[in-house]
Amino acid sequence: MAKNTNKTLAVEMKGITKQYPGVVANDDVDFSVYTGEIHALVGENGAGKSTLMKILYGIETLDDGQIYIDEKKEDINKVDIAINLGIGMVHQAFHLVPSFTAAENIGLGEEPKSKNGLIDWEDLNNQVSSISEKYGLKVDPKIRMIDASVGIQQRTEILKTLYRNANILILDEPTAVLTPQETDELFQVIRSLVDEGKTVIFITHKLREVMEIADRVTVMRAGKIQGVSLVKDTSPSELAKQMVGREVFLQVKKTKSKPKDKVLEVKDLWVHDSRGLLAVKGVNLDVAKGEIVGIAGVEGNGQSELVEALAGLRDTSSGEILFSGTNIEEFSPRKRRRAGIAHIPEDRTNTGLNLRLDIWENLIGTSYWRSPLSRGGIVNMKRIIEHSHNLKDNYDIRAPGVGVRLQSLSGGNQQKVVVARELSEEPILTIASQPTRGVDIGNIEAIHKQIVDIRDQGNAVLLVSAELDEVMAVADRVGVMYEGEFVAWVNPKDVDQSQMGLYMAGIKD
Amino acid sequence: MDKFSFKDVLILFAGLFLTGIFGWLILSITGHVPSEIAKLFFEGAFIGTRNLTNTLNAATPLILTAVATVVSFRVGMFNIGVNGSMYIGALYAAWAGYRFTTLSHFTHVSVCILIAIITGALWMLLPALLKVYAGVSEIITTIMLNFVAILFVSYMCNGPFRASPIAPSTPRILETAELKQYFPNSQFHTGFFIAVFVSILFYFILNKTTFGYELRSGGDGLVGFYPSRYSTYLGIPSDRSAIIGMLISGGLGGLAGAVEVLGSVRNFYQELFFNQGFDGILIAIIGKLEPIGGMISALFYGAMKNGGLYVDYKTDVSREIVVILISILIFFVSAQKIVKGLEKFEFVKRLDKLFSRKVR
Repeated sequence: MAKNTNKTLAVEMKGITKQYPGVVANDDVDFSVYTGEIHALVGENGAGKSTLMKILYGIETLDDGQIYIDEKKEDINKVDIAINLGIGMVHQAFHLVPSFTAAENIGLGEEPKSKNGLIDWEDLNNQVSSISEKYGLKVDPKIRMIDASVGIQQRTEILKTLYRNANILILDEPTAVLTPQETDELFQVIRSLVDEGKTVIFITHKLREVMEIADRVTVMRAGKIQGVSLVKDTSPSELAKQMVGREVFLQVKKTKSKPKDKVLEVKDLWVHDSRGLLAVKGVNLDVAKGEIVGIAGVEGNGQSELVEALAGLRDTSSGEILFSGTNIEEFSPRKRRRAGIAHIPEDRTNTGLNLRLDIWENLIGTSYWRSPLSRGGIVNMKRIIEHSHNLKDNYDIRAPGVGVRLQSLSGGNQQKVVVARELSEEPILTIASQPTRGVDIGNIEAIHKQIVDIRDQGNAVLLVSAELDEVMAVADRVGVMYEGEFVAWVNPKDVDQSQMGLYMAGIKD
Repeated sequence: MDKFSFKDVLILFAGLFLTGIFGWLILSITGHVPSEIAKLFFEGAFIGTRNLTNTLNAATPLILTAVATVVSFRVGMFNIGVNGSMYIGALYAAWAGYRFTTLSHFTHVSVCILIAIITGALWMLLPALLKVYAGVSEIITTIMLNFVAILFVSYMCNGPFRASPIAPSTPRILETAELKQYFPNSQFHTGFFIAVFVSILFYFILNKTTFGYELRSGGDGLVGFYPSRYSTYLGIPSDRSAIIGMLISGGLGGLAGAVEVLGSVRNFYQELFFNQGFDGILIAIIGKLEPIGGMISALFYGAMKNGGLYVDYKTDVSREIVVILISILIFFVSAQKIVKGLEKFEFVKRLDKLFSRKVR
């Protein structure tokens, strides 16, 4: 693990300052990483972590400050310089050519040439295979990126940096898109990288991961460093406090649920996935007013298809979906929404939002058609802006204004836009799929509270999450899905994590 | 794409300035006196009632085709077939213009325009339906339909609608169907006001109505990305939006054809040549896919076109050089990054703030 005995600094950033119009993203930041350590950089969305790393990687230029790599002062104002210094960065959104194979993506721009000046594909494939074996990064060099899972794509990105001889790897929220299994595999890879003498900077806001993998941790808040500590000397609640600037309740406060009449009844539902394979196999499910029903399970066990079928985005093969006693299977998504169903989708960038529209345009997506936002088909801009500002304040969406292109917001703030739009409609049933994905700890607390609040107002919630902690903390009743079926229904208070782990692996009692 | 703002108007003139430098070189090399040509160019574009109104007249169909492009692009449909709709609309406006003989002036013009809009829109129905229900790329179908349109109108004015035994042409439209021309020696006609009205109307529809919100919620900024999961997810029927967007686009293309025939040409003949449908795409993009931006860009483009024609007519500068200069100009005004250079000036920043209607 920590080889801090020699204590050479791989990265040292001194007095880094970066301003954007209206925001100080980094304010006199000092940040340093020892050679061969796993260093976690944590902070809320918009705390300046990504900006700091983009400066290190030469994407952003700094306004003030110095950077030392391997204890030598360097002027990194272009990505090329960073790469030549042995710095590699894996971004949160991958930069891969979908129609290229893994090897083609990895070699892009640095292709090995054969004698006649053409690309030596065989050499490239061999190099990729040998690097991938060395670090336990299993990737078939010939797999095309469109056909590869997110985990494979991420490994390809890591290989890309290793192919360019990176010694310092920056991973920007690498686990945000991974399943628990893929996360475990990633952690093994990170450990083997460090064993080979590499240095890893790991940006995250999941404190459990910090405790599990990192040697040291730096906490940022509002562009400033809040503290640097050895992981063994700190605790999640201490880190959470530093990140948010106040006490954070990692547990969800709620009273016992008082379920009333059933509002959603699903009977023997069968749904196919996009490849035409059966994804949901005869599921029965009901949700009552005043309760939160959770669905746990490893991603890809039919949860997405079940949610899409309920929201009207996917056709069902057979079975019944009753909402307040009415069969809504033939209802369009619009009709379902108007009946009182809200949906927070798992994919916010393509489904939940249009990133090219402004914040306000995204916020009125479900309410633009009725008074007071519009009357007789004419929109009332004054009311819309008022309404948008209310949501922005109530849901703590951090942006300079509501007329800002959504694209420029951080992932967590984008998610808050979806949550704000959906929950503000006071829906009878909320289907929330991965509602806190990519959201930082302070705001996870807030979103959980909002979900519990709408339950307490007598509404129903169906919560689907790959984060086991989330489902166990928020839901009143939890079903575990495995290969398109429910293998168990449990009360989260009566069951421990290891038992849930067995259910998620498909092992019944 | 950013919104159209005052900066974009500045880009147009910055582009003109840079073109001026290139033009200077080219004209000097070819043995002309650049300052005289520049003066004539400016005169032809703006000076005097006749030149100014000719500029406005050149801009008239361009405004309409630009708005047509804006509407289709903003529902996420890549309509390259506005030119085809324009031919169809022009043909049927001409037909209605001579066919109905008992109507009053206002009714007759309205009927002609309505028929042009309907036929232009129907021309886009097939690609819209093919896209929505069969997933056929609208880019392919609309490009192909442009050729079909030319052949179709050529057949019609050779066959069913042919009047003169000498030339393949429809009869001249009746006086009751004419859009009024206001000045001697200028074809400037009422169509210009129709075009301005249409671009303001669509500014209003796209930005101030729920219908407009539905149209653009899926497509905005995502040209060619229909169907968007976002609008389906919100429950906005994106199929309906895509079809309606295409029909409006085709209808405006038809209207552009109608104003050309009813206002300027007054009959339809085989050699009648339109390319405003294609210029409209370019203008719409320079206008940041906004109706008002499109109108301003079309006026600018019209002025350049007319100035060029004037130079061509008044001097021995060859037409090809004029075309080259206009092409260079288009190149520069499409170079969005010129803005970055302009933003350094404090007065530009201030003017931009003044003219942009940003929501805070």
